[in-house]
Amino acid sequence: MTIIETVDLKKVFRSVVRRPGIGGAFAALFSREYEEKVAVENVNLSLQEGEIVGYLGPNGAGKSTTIKMLTGILVPTSGSVRVAGIVPWKHRQQNGQNIGVVFGQRSQLYWDLPLRESFELLRAIYDVPHDRFAQNMRHFNEILDLDRFMETLVRQLSLGERMRGDFAAAMLHDPKIVFLDEPTIGLDVVAKEAIREFVATMNRERGTTVILTTHDLADVERLAPRIVLIDEGTVIYDGQLAALREEYGVYRTLVITLAENYPEISVEGAQIHERDGSIARLRFNRHEVTAETLIRRVLDTYRITDLAIEEPDIDSIVRRIYTEGYRAQPLPIGG
Amino acid sequence: MALAVRPRFRFEPYVEFGKKAIAREATYRFEVFTSIGSFVLRMYLLRMVWVALYAHNAAPRGLPLHAILTYSAVALLMGLVLDIDQVSSLYDKLHDGSIVSDFMRPILVPLYFFADGTGEVLFHAALVLPALALALLIVHIDVPSATTLATFALSFVLGYFVGFCINFILNCVAFWTLEINAVQLIVTFLTDLLGGELVPLIFFPLAFQHVLFALPFAAMFSTPLLIYVGEIGPDRYASALGIQAAWLVGLAIVCVVLWRAGSRRIVVQGG
Repeated sequence: MTIIETVDLKKVFRSVVRRPGIGGAFAALFSREYEEKVAVENVNLSLQEGEIVGYLGPNGAGKSTTIKMLTGILVPTSGSVRVAGIVPWKHRQQNGQNIGVVFGQRSQLYWDLPLRESFELLRAIYDVPHDRFAQNMRHFNEILDLDRFMETLVRQLSLGERMRGDFAAAMLHDPKIVFLDEPTIGLDVVAKEAIREFVATMNRERGTTVILTTHDLADVERLAPRIVLIDEGTVIYDGQLAALREEYGVYRTLVITLAENYPEISVEGAQIHERDGSIARLRFNRHEVTAETLIRRVLDTYRITDLAIEEPDIDSIVRRIYTEGYRAQPLPIGG
Repeated sequence: MALAVRPRFRFEPYVEFGKKAIAREATYRFEVFTSIGSFVLRMYLLRMVWVALYAHNAAPRGLPLHAILTYSAVALLMGLVLDIDQVSSLYDKLHDGSIVSDFMRPILVPLYFFADGTGEVLFHAALVLPALALALLIVHIDVPSATTLATFALSFVLGYFVGFCINFILNCVAFWTLEINAVQLIVTFLTDLLGGELVPLIFFPLAFQHVLFALPFAAMFSTPLLIYVGEIGPDRYASALGIQAAWLVGLAIVCVVLWRAGSRRIVVQGG
């Protein structure tokens, strides 16, 4: 069942143009020029219940703007949006009951209260039945180990503790959908893993739909089979992460360490991507030549002491799409 | 597909918000002492001023010295209770973007601000007792009849509501400008001077008084205080409370309109 649907979603921000200098500041007092900036445009998303989708894009691409329209904070300039059958900005309260949100950069917890009291307040806000509340707290504690800092004031928690608290807070009312906006930013590996485990468990056990915005692609690889890439306000890729890897991953690199000093090297079926002293990096298309053939050709001509094959990692694929844009038929890397 | 049914209204979250505000205020112990200290100091200074002024003049407008001292003491106690920083709570949240968290919850956000502010007020109300005890060392405070006290209390509550609305409207300006400091200064100045907290409005020239009593600021401090000292007699209770209530309704409507318009054009700063 479709749980999130946007059609031609668009958001335009209007801001005052400021001319430089004191003169400009005074001029702005009397006449204002406005500048329109399209934050997102033509965003068509469709999410099925129980999906985990990685929503990726460089800074300023429009990720947060989209999330804020889905959570009912921003009113779209045009286009339509439905979240669990509700138009979020028209029915903020009902939408609020259906969603949970974690912002890595901004806590949802109440700063001046001990963590436990924040949870109790949230219980009252979302009208969670007492037995369900107790059950959820027990379960969350098993995964997130909350009891150690339950009585600590939120402002005294470490970032890792606070994020664990934020995750529990977001899931306390069993939301159908959770929005995670850079949830692992600044966390150590242990905390990151605990949180990824928590998201995976909630998705598996409760069928929670998850939209995950992150710059840490390890989060995506661990959690999200499907990714949506957005750049300059428009969606440039929407599909399986594996498919993207397949498309962009046709080029692999054979790294060899040469035993002798060869001034020039050349191997049929590969191009020399980099040469640094005795180490050479050969890039090849795995549909045109197999690794085995290539290694054989290398060994026929040169004496080497070591070799390794590098697969393109998701970071470099995404980095490439950010800088070059998405193409269905990618050119060779560095070619 | 789930239908967008308006959720049943529940008081529970707002009661909890109020309780948490009380708990939060209680953690700032130092402020408790400074606010009582500043209360005592102001009480002492005001007594000196009024005694000095009255020494050379007949009681203006028939308000004798003991009445003006009572007026000042009650005004300062009211100020102590209403000394809350709700003035900037919405503004702060709009400015630093934390309004986002409140907008994503199944709550009526303006009512959250009201509950939070009321929690603060209730906490400060607990300070009245020690402050009153100290005030009695400095001045004598007249105690009116039970009917007058009850009317005063009702008028005080109405005044608090009116004050909340004025602050809320002021904060809503931030939806459009994101800067309210200048407007805030003007409103604070007007409230202090024209609200009757420092100087009874009946001391102003008669023509000016007509204007002042027609403004909402008078509904905050002046009306309950004039009821307390008997300047507004029982025959005028109904009309005095009626004017306060009328201001409350009018300002509440402005709040709703501004909030609806403002929250639709919200621009979240950063991120």
